[in-house]
Amino acid sequence: MTRLTKFARPATSLVIYAVLAALIVVPFLSFLAMSFFSVEGVTINRTPTMGNFIRAFTDPVMMSVFWRTILLCGAIAFVTTLIAYPVAVFINGLQGVARYVLLTATTAPLILSYVMKIYAFRSILGGNGLLNRMLLATGIIDTPSSFFVFNLNAVFLVLAVLLAPFAILPILLSLEKIPAALSEAAADLSASRWTIFRTVTVPLSRPGIATALSFTFIMSIGDFVTPQMVGGPNGFTFGRIIYSQFGLAFNWPFGAALGVLMAAVIVVVLALAMRLGRVPGGASR
Amino acid sequence: MSSKVPSKLLELRSVGKSYGTAQVLKDVDLKIEDGEFLVILGPSGSGKTTILRLIGGFIAPSQGEILLDGAIINDLPINRRPFNTVFQDYALFPHMTVRGNVAYGLSVRGVPKAEIVARSDKVLALVSLGPLADRYPAQLSGGQRQRVALARAIVCEPRLVLLDEPLAALDVNLRRQMQVFLKEIQREIRTTFLFITHDQEEAITLADRICVMDHGKIMQIGAPRDLYDRPGSAHVARFFGDNNLIEGRILSVAGGRATLDTPLGTLVACCDPSSGLADGDSAFLAIRPEKIRILAREDPCPDDAAALGVTITRKEFAGPLTHLSFVPDAAPSILLSAKRLSDEMALLSLGEPGLRACWGISDTWVVRA
Repeated sequence: MTRLTKFARPATSLVIYAVLAALIVVPFLSFLAMSFFSVEGVTINRTPTMGNFIRAFTDPVMMSVFWRTILLCGAIAFVTTLIAYPVAVFINGLQGVARYVLLTATTAPLILSYVMKIYAFRSILGGNGLLNRMLLATGIIDTPSSFFVFNLNAVFLVLAVLLAPFAILPILLSLEKIPAALSEAAADLSASRWTIFRTVTVPLSRPGIATALSFTFIMSIGDFVTPQMVGGPNGFTFGRIIYSQFGLAFNWPFGAALGVLMAAVIVVVLALAMRLGRVPGGASR
Repeated sequence: MSSKVPSKLLELRSVGKSYGTAQVLKDVDLKIEDGEFLVILGPSGSGKTTILRLIGGFIAPSQGEILLDGAIINDLPINRRPFNTVFQDYALFPHMTVRGNVAYGLSVRGVPKAEIVARSDKVLALVSLGPLADRYPAQLSGGQRQRVALARAIVCEPRLVLLDEPLAALDVNLRRQMQVFLKEIQREIRTTFLFITHDQEEAITLADRICVMDHGKIMQIGAPRDLYDRPGSAHVARFFGDNNLIEGRILSVAGGRATLDTPLGTLVACCDPSSGLADGDSAFLAIRPEKIRILAREDPCPDDAAALGVTITRKEFAGPLTHLSFVPDAAPSILLSAKRLSDEMALLSLGEPGLRACWGISDTWVVRA
């Protein structure tokens, strides 16, 4: 028995690490290697070069799309989390069936196909879509607006809504972990409901807020399908550029270099999120 | 209506609490005096925590009134009641330091910063937590957290401190220390404490007055000594330490004494003239184990005492005291117990014939069955 576990434990962790290495580390390393290669016609030249990175940093179009994408995804993360927080607080305050129903309703869109949801949005936001018709009917605008489709506004709107469950769930989880006794204790010490929210609820849900922000940021920066389908020619994002390098442009090494840049951004965001999600006193549990 | 008696801090008038059809508190009348240490004692489910939560404002009564200084406060929200609570699991804010926890109540009230520092430092010194002020709750031991919880509650100078079984999670030695400590603090700050517990020894150690509860009702309120010597019911007589209860029927009541017909023969015992016990009522004669002496054949029994022939069935040495179980010769099915100094018991042996149990009439007490 003890002999078995003595060997079984290391064996199990070896398998786990091997799988992780094969599926994550090895592909990433090959990607990293690829970013130092170059393309000649239709063949890949394996002589190491910094050319891809130099081009990425010096090309004015690349850099402007890069920063615009970071700004866009940052805004998406911020707005989505801001909307998700009160929703999570509301669900957390419910009990029994109502809570269950709302939780299911929140997560239900995750079951739907991603492409289907985007098509649904296209028809809502389009020139003859529901949104425009409602605005026309209420007299807010006179002619159908193209403000909401085939540009970055559309990308912003669609991603903010599609990613909302990924922000609501981690926040809800961290809210659930806050013992009800803490709110009672705060009230007992004369705190109003708003003060309790500000001094107890928000600080203790920081891990959830950080997770929501980083989830939505990373998922939106990595997305190229949504910008492709609702962004139109004006909604160009960094993800779409990378995608095109592996497709039409057929420049895998340059695409890999841009991918490494994006991975670096994600690592920085995760580090920031870890920092933000740390509750003083080691109370993150 | 507003006949203010200054010594009454808080009053519950026929307060009840029901959840659906379950009535957890029935018609409770309770007066809490200014400056006293009142302990509510009862088993779990007796409604003791419900009383605390009603007073604290965490729940609202289903019926009755709660009065503070003679004014009804039923609808006063928690955060405006001048009471502070020490919670059972402390409920310290994990993301705040000891100082942050203690200062919370003051800063919420908008007390000036300099005053907050001065007052929290003073209270932290009082509970000897000054050196740990910058630690977080996770870095403290159970006893230290307990003291933070107390400091946080008393720093706001509440009229009444509510303590919900605060020592339940501590080990025995620490609990003893904390009991002494709590009592000292209460004397020092001269504030009214309402303390909830299921531990009768703890209640006796701490209380000026004890309120015994069972099944949502108050059974008896009084000083620990009164409850011990003159229990008002068989429940209280049994709940407070060990007791021998001998069932019988009252033959006559006169001059603070009752004569009972029991399986052990006719016995006389003290009784409360105001208890309304009358001839023919069934009742218990209560006699504490430490009041029973076991005498050998030749020892004389003092005056005004009862004596029975008995046989010892069990003898248990427990350090300075020895516990004896014995049966009266007149009714061998009734098991009684005695607790005396071990030296006194050393010569007695199991099954020895001709022994007598002897107790003074003044040490007995009659309670309603």
